[in-house]
Amino acid sequence: MAAALSIASDPHQPHLLTLPPPQEASSLLQEVRQALSLGAIQGSLNLICGDWRLRLPDLEALQSLLTQQGLTLVQLQADHPETRVAAASLGLHLGPNTGELQHPPKAAPTIPALTVHQGTLRSGEHLQADGSLLVLGDVNPGAQISAVGHVLVWGRLRGVAHAGRLGDDQATIVALQMRPLQLRIAGAVARGPDEVPAAGLCEEARLENGEIRIDPASPRWPLQGMPTQGLNVGSSPSAQ
Amino acid sequence: MTATPARVILICSGKGGVGKTTLTANLGIALARLGETTVVLDADFGLRNLDLLLGLENRIVYNAQDVLEETCRLEQALVKHKQEPNLSLLPAGNARMLDWLTSDDMKKIVGMVAERANFVLIDCPAGIETGFRNAAAAAREAIVITTPEMAAVRDADRVIGLLNTQGVAPVQMVLNRVRPKMVANQEMLGVNDVTDILALPLLGLVLEDEQVITSTNRGEPLTLNGSLSPAGRAYMNVARRLRGEEVPLIDPSRERRGLRARLMGKIRRTTGLF
Repeated sequence: MAAALSIASDPHQPHLLTLPPPQEASSLLQEVRQALSLGAIQGSLNLICGDWRLRLPDLEALQSLLTQQGLTLVQLQADHPETRVAAASLGLHLGPNTGELQHPPKAAPTIPALTVHQGTLRSGEHLQADGSLLVLGDVNPGAQISAVGHVLVWGRLRGVAHAGRLGDDQATIVALQMRPLQLRIAGAVARGPDEVPAAGLCEEARLENGEIRIDPASPRWPLQGMPTQGLNVGSSPSAQ
Repeated sequence: MTATPARVILICSGKGGVGKTTLTANLGIALARLGETTVVLDADFGLRNLDLLLGLENRIVYNAQDVLEETCRLEQALVKHKQEPNLSLLPAGNARMLDWLTSDDMKKIVGMVAERANFVLIDCPAGIETGFRNAAAAAREAIVITTPEMAAVRDADRVIGLLNTQGVAPVQMVLNRVRPKMVANQEMLGVNDVTDILALPLLGLVLEDEQVITSTNRGEPLTLNGSLSPAGRAYMNVARRLRGEEVPLIDPSRERRGLRARLMGKIRRTTGLF
């Protein structure tokens, strides 16, 4: 078992690096190097040490390794008292003991909140959401919407829509009338279809084998299971 | 001074050359002919030519700048139209005004003008920069004019978005330079295509009319004539609708047939053949 790295979707949030139990692991630096080799990430990092017994030199070596990678160690969660003392002497923020910590579910990525925008987005307006985005209105040609999760347009989509802005290739774009200039899902880009779709046909775009496909929308609401609390209703987009 | 507060209407388009100034001039004359005291205000300080279109260029002594600097009174700066005394023009100052004019200055001047008129029409500069923002800050309602071209519609859409954020309402739309033949052949955006995108109430539909060019060059707006050309009629109808009258919109496809039918009718009448 190797160290598990979970990359934060929000650039302001720290990434999480969880070390395996010490008896199953080789050395600290090797574990960390291995975990970081999976993807180039930058920003701040929280380290969850569990039962590891790390002394001041260990932590200093770890810090210099992370700095080389462009990461800053900001918080440490450790159960071993020696590790906690060493971390405190380095000025690191100490999180609660792992025992008290609720592990973030590893399989299900953190469920993003839903942003609801009411009103038509006009040419030149650009709306970005950190979670999924629901527009109650039209997206006119020249307007742009993007979301980390799904993009849903309860109206006509005639501008540019980007779902899965940070690389979520399961994100979908749903619109009551799909006439976009351009669609983007994760890293894929597609021009909108040339023919005008039949009125009243709700369509859905998704990524399949690296290509964006438009099909009649599935009756399954893509936001199923999403918590409704934290619903955040905005009425004026950040016009740029 | 009038009892009811003046209606301060911004005339804007985003894109240049779609007919803002022409609409302002014609609408000003039309409203004046309908008995409304009207002031047209040239807010296009950089490229002023509302005075030119109204044929008042050589009568300007003072301008908005002088009023703001209090080197003259407002009455001295207002240029009364020679044929329509109900209409006066507040000319723009020189282009250097762009450097220092603020939205408060604009509000001040519009407030002064509004005290002595039923209608104040602000001819807005093209673009969405300070000139537009200052003018929009002073206006209560707006007319967005556009032509059936993608670029003009796109820019109009952007402007409508900005007007909404500035709290200007109601915003209505005039569709200018429609060519019925091209619309019928689907070579040009139709009325429905435009209203579909902009989603605004249509205040008027102006057909392409060569007489607009000659009237512009002569400094005599089309609405000044007793016998109106197609575009002149359309401007007159816009003025009527602005005052709350119910005037049916012309149907561009019928207008084309109407011309032929009128011709046939004339032949029928004169020859008595059919």
